[in-house]
Amino acid sequence: MSVNDHTAFEPLLTEEEAKKVLRGPLPPGDYYLFGSDACVEGAIFAGCRYYAGYPITPASEIMEKAAERLPQVGGRFIQMEDEISSACSLIGASWAGVKAMTATSGPGFSLMMEAVSFAIMSETPLLIVNVQRPGPGQGYITSSQEDVMQARWGHHGGGALIALAPSSVQEMFDFTIQAFNYAEEWRVPVILLADETVAHMRERLTVPARDKVKVINRIKPQDLGIPLEKYLPYEPYEGKVPPMPAWGDGYRVNVVGLVHHPDGNVTKYTPEMHLACVSRIYQKIEDHADEIAQVEGFFLKGCRNLVVAYGTTTRSALEAVQELRGKGMTDLGFLRLKTLWPFPDGKIRSMVGQMENIFFPEMNLGYMIHPLREALRDRAKNFIPIPCLGQLHSPDLIINKVEEVIGKYLCGEGI
Amino acid sequence: MLQYLKETGVCGDRFPTIFCPGCGIGQVLNYALNAVDHLVKKDGIPRDQFCFIAGIGCSARVTSQYLGFDAIWSLHGRAPAVATGALLARPELRAVVITGDGDVAAIGGNHFIQACRRNLDMTILCMNNNLYGMTGGQSSPTTLRGIPSTTSPYGNVENAFDLCQMAITAGASYVARWTTAHPQQCIQAIEKGIRKKGLAFIEVMTQCPTHWKEEPAKMMKKYRSQAIRLSKEKERESLKRGQFWAGEFVDKDQPEWLESYQKIIDRFQNKGMATEVTEAPETKGK
Amino acid sequence: MKRYEIRIAGFGGQGVVTIGKILGVAAALHDKKNAVQTQSYGPESRGGACKSEIVLSDGEIHYPKVRSADVLVALSQTALDVYLKDLKPGGFLIIDPLTVLKEVPRSDIQVVKIPTAEIALKAGNKRFQNMVALGALCQLTGAVSPQALERAIGESVPPKTLAQNLKAFQKGIEYVR
Repeated sequence: MSVNDHTAFEPLLTEEEAKKVLRGPLPPGDYYLFGSDACVEGAIFAGCRYYAGYPITPASEIMEKAAERLPQVGGRFIQMEDEISSACSLIGASWAGVKAMTATSGPGFSLMMEAVSFAIMSETPLLIVNVQRPGPGQGYITSSQEDVMQARWGHHGGGALIALAPSSVQEMFDFTIQAFNYAEEWRVPVILLADETVAHMRERLTVPARDKVKVINRIKPQDLGIPLEKYLPYEPYEGKVPPMPAWGDGYRVNVVGLVHHPDGNVTKYTPEMHLACVSRIYQKIEDHADEIAQVEGFFLKGCRNLVVAYGTTTRSALEAVQELRGKGMTDLGFLRLKTLWPFPDGKIRSMVGQMENIFFPEMNLGYMIHPLREALRDRAKNFIPIPCLGQLHSPDLIINKVEEVIGKYLCGEGI
Repeated sequence: MLQYLKETGVCGDRFPTIFCPGCGIGQVLNYALNAVDHLVKKDGIPRDQFCFIAGIGCSARVTSQYLGFDAIWSLHGRAPAVATGALLARPELRAVVITGDGDVAAIGGNHFIQACRRNLDMTILCMNNNLYGMTGGQSSPTTLRGIPSTTSPYGNVENAFDLCQMAITAGASYVARWTTAHPQQCIQAIEKGIRKKGLAFIEVMTQCPTHWKEEPAKMMKKYRSQAIRLSKEKERESLKRGQFWAGEFVDKDQPEWLESYQKIIDRFQNKGMATEVTEAPETKGK
Repeated sequence: MKRYEIRIAGFGGQGVVTIGKILGVAAALHDKKNAVQTQSYGPESRGGACKSEIVLSDGEIHYPKVRSADVLVALSQTALDVYLKDLKPGGFLIIDPLTVLKEVPRSDIQVVKIPTAEIALKAGNKRFQNMVALGALCQLTGAVSPQALERAIGESVPPKTLAQNLKAFQKGIEYVR
């Protein structure tokens, strides 16, 4: 009565076909790929060998490419029953010693929040790619940056994590490697905030030689010569991050998501233990914001007006800034956030002086403008969001807004 | 079995455990550790290959800090998913999922049946006390109709799942039900389940004297009369209310997920060849 | 070459996305230019509107989409109706007079009428009309070299149909000459 016949499985692939396939990371050279493909290749390059996911537009291409490539490089892929189980399985894979990732979009991202919260408390490295699409609810399937706050604050409880925002096919490759590096170095879940535009765009990808790219792997207690008897699962090494063994290595680590003592004991609760535990995982990231974050400045010297952007909007903004500067607005500078979280107040303040107007185009109704305004509260008169929903800003949208504000100002009318 | 439990930590004693006096979980843990001990000694499986994975609930607390094994106390209902990731990352791990009726059949229902359908090589050990213990005695998907609980103060209007039937229908390779009053059978079933290549589901009816407000010894005695051993003749009879079938329901060999997927990897790796290969001409411009 | 913008639009199934991709591969990998290629689909997928855009440059490309197209290849009437306004004054419009029947309502552009379906049919099969359009585009604009395009076609189409694709491509080039 069953639909199954229980015969043995045979791969749909001949030995001849299998030989022709690339069985490792992309060799150095130029390729012309979708952003989605570049992301998977970056993950493989960084050593990722586990992918679990669930279909969702516009992230399914990443999953499909992973299904194709992972067994080729000796890794494993599984399509799980939903985004919740996909994210939870990353926790298991990571603790079994393997770099693990998934890709999703808004509705799936919401489902993964409990797992993100657990990964923060248990300090489990993993990567979630959010190919953002508009929301809320089912939203639509075009481009968006509406989940940038959710990435930082969408999980319940405290703690901190790291998020990056790529703007090109090359960066879908490079930033994925960096994301894994952050996850391994800081033992934290990392979010790659892509969007539909960059995922579905094709551009040249230049893969560098292996020795030119830094790939970081977690430090294990055995690397430091720490034996089982002396192993404390939550004792930071050199004040940074506790070494992380893999299940099966013999360290008998009991992973928990509850507040804990440094040895993993979860009884004997005291408010002091609680504060110490959560403070450590929070400060682990936030106290190092300036070290972790990556921010790029263009034309900052002597600039009095600033355009700020991140992700794919960077490209529209740079086009707009260059056109405006070409028209004579030579005091217009540009600041790009390559990482969004942790937000590096200090770093930004060291780069940006006194401004008249700061313009912030975002594919949302103005989200990252809030921490920016907090960081630069005494440095600028006006903070002007430039929202655009459902599609990438055209350079004209940004140019028109800047000219509207600065043009008025130049005519002495004020804001 | 004490050698399999964590010793006292620097921050204080882990024992006595948090479990209530007379709780069946301690017994089931004992049976599981006995089974593991047999596998270590008889089959030569290294102790450190075992990994215990739990979600949330009284039964899940087993993994919170007591076990001298790799373990995780993860998210409610998601233990089979966590185990899936662990197995695909490191197939030699012996994953034992510790769960309860609420964790496996309510919030975790889908992950439970999907793991059975995939026939992944893990063992799901479900301690069924027919309610939610940790949170105060709410009804669960295995609470019988008519029974009162904190969320069914006028009586439960819902029917109950038969967890073993679900596992069988979903495709598990080994399915068995016993009770805390069947120690030897439990140990053997868990041992067989872990040894089985494929998904093993073992349900153990486990007394919760606190919420059922009964003496543990009485509850265990009741289990012995409620547990009807499955046999050809008995199958034709219907059970009386409160009774349940006990025994091994399914024990079959069928293709398992990891071994099936391994064929794909082996086809690419050509077993024995180096994993890194130079450029294939088709990749450019694709 | 400064920023050069090409837009190809038509119905789903006309090969709009394929030739966009081939242009990108040819420009980026073989002509060693920078090339960003994007595409979008109309609300009605099968047979609905579909466009492919490619931005070329010797320098860095910031904004990845068409602002004001240098070339528009309109393979359907709807495509023309929707995208004509975004074509630069003096830009090229490539249309098939058998598909686009209405008079083109602009006089400040260079209209090039190519019976792509007819030529493709003569070359072997009507379905290669997108290759004819590609050949015409190549010869007309000189934006991407024919050698690079031929290499890219070879990497993008199944070996069985390669010869026919290349023939249709050549025919497109010849027609413009």
